[in-house]
Amino acid sequence: MRSLTLHLKVLITVLVLLGVAVTAYQIFFLGIPVTEDETDDLWNIDAKVEFVASTKDPVKVQMFVPPLNRDYVSLNESFISNNYGVSVNRADGNRKVTWSARRASGNQTLYYRLVLTKRYSTEKTTVKGPTFRDSLAVEGPEKIAAEALMAPIRQHSADVETFVSETIKRVNNLNDDNVKLLLAGDTSSMKKAQVIDLLLSIAHVPMEKVHTIRLVADTPQTPELWLRSFNGNDWLYFNPDTGEQGLPSDRLLWWTGDDNLITVDGGKKANVTFSMNNSEMNAIRLAKLTDENTDADFLEYSLYGLPLQTQQTFMIMVMIPIGVLVILVLRNLIGIQTLGTFTPVLIALAFRETQLGFGIVLFTVITALGLSLRSYLEHLKLQMLPRLSVVLTFVVVLIAAISLFSHKLGLERGLSVALFPMVILTMTIERLSITWEERGGGHAMKVAIGTLFAASLAHLLMMVPELVYFVFTFPAVLLILVGFMLAMGRYRGYRLTELVRFKAFLKKADA
Amino acid sequence: MFGLIKTWKALEARGIMGINRRNADYVLKYNKRSLYPIVDDKIITKERALAAGIHVPEMYGVIETEKQIDKLHEIIGGRNDFVIKPAQGAGGDGILVIADRFEDRYRTVSGKIISHEEIEHQVSSILTGLYSLGGHRDRALIEYRVTPDQIFKSISYEGVPDIRIIVLMGYPVMAMLRLPTRQSGGKANLHQGAIGVGVDLATGVTLRGTWLNNIISKHPDTTNAVDGVQLPNWDGFMKLAAGCYELCGLGYIGVDMVLDQDKGPLILELNARPGLNIQIANDTGLTQRTHAIEAHIEALAKEGVTEDAEQRVRVTQSLFGHVHPR
Repeated sequence: MRSLTLHLKVLITVLVLLGVAVTAYQIFFLGIPVTEDETDDLWNIDAKVEFVASTKDPVKVQMFVPPLNRDYVSLNESFISNNYGVSVNRADGNRKVTWSARRASGNQTLYYRLVLTKRYSTEKTTVKGPTFRDSLAVEGPEKIAAEALMAPIRQHSADVETFVSETIKRVNNLNDDNVKLLLAGDTSSMKKAQVIDLLLSIAHVPMEKVHTIRLVADTPQTPELWLRSFNGNDWLYFNPDTGEQGLPSDRLLWWTGDDNLITVDGGKKANVTFSMNNSEMNAIRLAKLTDENTDADFLEYSLYGLPLQTQQTFMIMVMIPIGVLVILVLRNLIGIQTLGTFTPVLIALAFRETQLGFGIVLFTVITALGLSLRSYLEHLKLQMLPRLSVVLTFVVVLIAAISLFSHKLGLERGLSVALFPMVILTMTIERLSITWEERGGGHAMKVAIGTLFAASLAHLLMMVPELVYFVFTFPAVLLILVGFMLAMGRYRGYRLTELVRFKAFLKKADA
Repeated sequence: MFGLIKTWKALEARGIMGINRRNADYVLKYNKRSLYPIVDDKIITKERALAAGIHVPEMYGVIETEKQIDKLHEIIGGRNDFVIKPAQGAGGDGILVIADRFEDRYRTVSGKIISHEEIEHQVSSILTGLYSLGGHRDRALIEYRVTPDQIFKSISYEGVPDIRIIVLMGYPVMAMLRLPTRQSGGKANLHQGAIGVGVDLATGVTLRGTWLNNIISKHPDTTNAVDGVQLPNWDGFMKLAAGCYELCGLGYIGVDMVLDQDKGPLILELNARPGLNIQIANDTGLTQRTHAIEAHIEALAKEGVTEDAEQRVRVTQSLFGHVHPR
């Protein structure tokens, strides 16, 4: 007996640990969200390209689109354009879309739409970049001005990072005569970037221009210029106006380099406007979408790998153990009496079709009518099987009648009854009537109410969407349940109702 | 909540056994599943008992198929009283007790007049498994109707009072006299409204009783005191009960016996899951007694000694007997 207890304890421990470990692995390692409500931002970016096509020449529009190689994952990308051929190609870490048409005239509008989200897994991808470059050629007074600026920058910096930020700071000091000379009266970000580029090139520090879009909903915007430099490990981003370091997390890298966003051959007045909005999306659906677009297939071996129809069946099936658990607790811990052991679970499943309130009414009405039929049949002295068949047929007719009536009355709910398990109802009626005869109406009522209560509770629990999601996504939880059930198998404490049943002992002790 | 915990503690302290404990520590531990048919099927119990020389009510016949129902007349013969039982019935359900017969009609023990067809329908219901555990097909058993000893006349209402003794590994641990009431319809099952009266294991004198989970000391129908009654032939009952362990091999059983006016103590049936109300009837918890017996068995096993039924009876009588009603 003792070894059996040890065996059981080990088994329970193993099951619970396994369940916890698998679930923890799914949550913490694979990053599967714990609740269905957990949502992630989803960005919808529209770039609207407008230009006027010249009538004679063929049109060729080239525009940079985000390379999407780092922090973002594209879920959907579309190029909306009538009569234009579309091709996308990569060059120097940029992506470029080319729209082309032999003939076009008048105002032209093209759309580029991108749906993206933050990348799910936070794996670091190794990046490569240049660490050295040749100086740009510079002559005359500019050269002297540049060199004059370089001396203090060198003095005040220690590495690439501080060097670049110091350079940006100096160039933004518009009172400095050297800077004034180099900027030549143009204080735009573009010009500043050019000067910074020049200064850095003298020190052989590589620098790239980065054009970004801010992910902010409903604000019209133009690409924002940033500078970046490679320090051997990673890109360092700098704001050319402030020297601020580090790219804010809401910036989306659109393209790099000196080129313009768009080039149009055979057209003029090209203009690009960005608009974006964000929506939230159920995290697991999002995970599935990204899954399709990336190589990480962590959902491949979960229940989500099943066809959708089968998934829905399993969503019900994985909840059955929860319902059974409810019955187990109600019967063995609380001590509520039910008809049969798992009949309440089956009734709870039937409630899925009918909704709870209507289900209870239906169950009560049909059982009550069935009981009166059963007591009438009792007088005819029929054998059990024929009698059961009559009751079953009666139940079917009754259900058909209820459906018909409720349909005529405009209550579509009544139609859902079709799948109410008739055999269960019949057996319930039969058992209830026997209980009634043998143990009296009071006991029969008690059992019937206990059954309904257990079924309702099981149904309510089995319908909690968070729970369904959780069990379906982390089926290993069922192992933990089994552990609990095993433990219950050797529970020997009192049932709650026994505390009432044996009250007589206490009254005596008090007196 | 706090009150419940207090109740729990108090019950635990008095050694009251709950259903979960009974199932886990006694029924599952001592009763081998393969031996259940011996107690679940009254016909097998009867055959075993007869083979072991234990007294049981005489069996008139068995009906196994619908066809054999025609033989009912033949089985009953000229007898005026008999009992029809499902062989695998539970909780006394489906039992028909015929007390008298006149013309073509029968009178049940509760005074209801029924026809032969109704009896046949009852037999048919039994055969289809209406009363059997799990709804299996069943056999109907027609047997001798016990006439209770006159001693019970004053404290019983109709029906046959029976004596239930809980036997752990052959040691009788607790006894109860079950008295039918008007409410129980002549049946001796507590959940149907019969009274349970505790019995002193050593003397066979009744203690106070339980009715519908309450403690009582008078019969609700006859208003006679149920306590202080000396049951005749008590040692005979004890030995009969103790011997049932060898008969069926189950370690934790409830033995139901009757005292027939002419034939003395008879075994009615054995129960592999005896109820717990016997504790209320005796105002004592089962757990303390079963633990004492388990300790005694362990001690005996160390010495390598085994005891026969008579010795076992003496052990429990000295351990649990002579209780003084509080």
